[in-house]
Amino acid sequence: MEKIQSIVNEIYEIFKDYNVSKSEIEKRLKLLIFEFKVPEDEAKRTIINGLRRDLNLSREALRFPLTKIADLEPGKGVSVKAKVIQLWEPTSQSIAQWGVIGDETGTARFVIWAKSAKRKVEEGKNYIFERVFVDEFGGIKSIKVTSISEVREIEEDIEVSENWGEIEITGALVSISQNSGLVQVCKICGKVIEAGICKEHGKVEWNEVLRLRGVIDDGERTYDVEMEENCIKELTGLDLRTAKKMAFEHLDRGIVLLELKKKLLGRYLKISGDLKFRTVNVKKAEFFKTKVREEVDKVLEEVKAL
Amino acid sequence: MRTRREVARRVFAKEFNSSRYKLGGNAEKEPVYVLTPLGLKCNRIFIIGALIEKEETKPDSEVLRIRIADPTGSFLGFVGKFDPEAKVSLTEIDIPSTVAVTAKARLLERGWRVIPFIRPETINLSDFESRDYWILETAKATMKRIEMMKGDSELARLAREKYNPNLEEYKEMVVSALMRLKEEVEISEEREESIEESIEEEILDLNDLF
Repeated sequence: MEKIQSIVNEIYEIFKDYNVSKSEIEKRLKLLIFEFKVPEDEAKRTIINGLRRDLNLSREALRFPLTKIADLEPGKGVSVKAKVIQLWEPTSQSIAQWGVIGDETGTARFVIWAKSAKRKVEEGKNYIFERVFVDEFGGIKSIKVTSISEVREIEEDIEVSENWGEIEITGALVSISQNSGLVQVCKICGKVIEAGICKEHGKVEWNEVLRLRGVIDDGERTYDVEMEENCIKELTGLDLRTAKKMAFEHLDRGIVLLELKKKLLGRYLKISGDLKFRTVNVKKAEFFKTKVREEVDKVLEEVKAL
Repeated sequence: MRTRREVARRVFAKEFNSSRYKLGGNAEKEPVYVLTPLGLKCNRIFIIGALIEKEETKPDSEVLRIRIADPTGSFLGFVGKFDPEAKVSLTEIDIPSTVAVTAKARLLERGWRVIPFIRPETINLSDFESRDYWILETAKATMKRIEMMKGDSELARLAREKYNPNLEEYKEMVVSALMRLKEEVEISEEREESIEESIEEEILDLNDLF
């Protein structure tokens, strides 16, 4: 019986995204093995082929099974239904397009090789990426679209998981938005209020918070970042209490924003946090330090080899 | 969907200053880009360099002309009342200082003359360590472009057609910028003395007048 269960599981794995139940597989398998006395591997093959016909799937589609993003495994060939969330500018001419895709289970990167000669995908649209390969770099999964792949737009609107996973970036903080610093936010929605009035909720109770909204730019991409008090304190030494004191002494909360700009604008930061659409909720932030001199020799070699 | 923020590109002054052509700006709201000889299409740039010049273009014009130097040359910039944030920070910064600047890339066209310049959005004091990293990442970015110029992308073709750049020259530029990072950074006392000496000399000169 154990043997039967393991064959059932094996077949189920192949068809799990196509709404096939384990009991259905088990019924067919028992019928063939116990009633018709068919050998186990013959039975297995018969069932797989039968299901494939029933579901109208090509042999190839099975070798590249439809897979949810959370289940992507490096080295495997799969098909993925996903929404294109973000497109990045290609950094090399071998890349036609790249960026982030997502489904209800998570997000991954994707690369469409120039050689694959595919039609361009657009941000916000939904696609099925057939016959693509999965790999992983620095803990981030990505799918590669090659010339054997197929990318088709689909009608279905794929809901994207809120949880985009952790991301680490290094770049210059090139902008700090005006609604940073010591600000009053609506107790209901957390948005900045003006003169005690929230745009959505009218006259509301509010909290006073220290926060930063800005843009980190690594020369190739920009990321919107949001930092709360703990990270700001880590970087600048400024916390909510001292910020309030500063504002009180100067009779102006603007002084806090000015101070943040002075200390952080134009600085290279290394941050990590949760990516959600274009925004990173920063969990950890530090000034980026590198051993420039050690890297110089390496880069010099590379230039000379050009 | 809101318009995407333009990425602040990393480019050395020498490459930027050799730019003569614009891209985009045809449709309404389409941004204008400067096309550099190495096929970089930039609307915004990020620089860390030495602020070496800061003066009013004309008395009471309220427009400051600035220069920011990197190891390959200097960026010409104008700061006016349309960039209040940059202007306020400039008043507090002396020359020479190391500054980090986010700026819009522009071309000034005067008849047949075309002069690339920048319009800073933010200017902040920086330090040598950050500047060294800027040189390193800008060297890497430039290298990528030199590599790209050997290929057949649309930008590479356009840049070749407009500028036909000598890639060797730009390779040398990257090498010499990187070599500057290997120099011992130690301001020798001799140099300070010589400044003092020259001041003394000036004073002597003045004394002679009386």
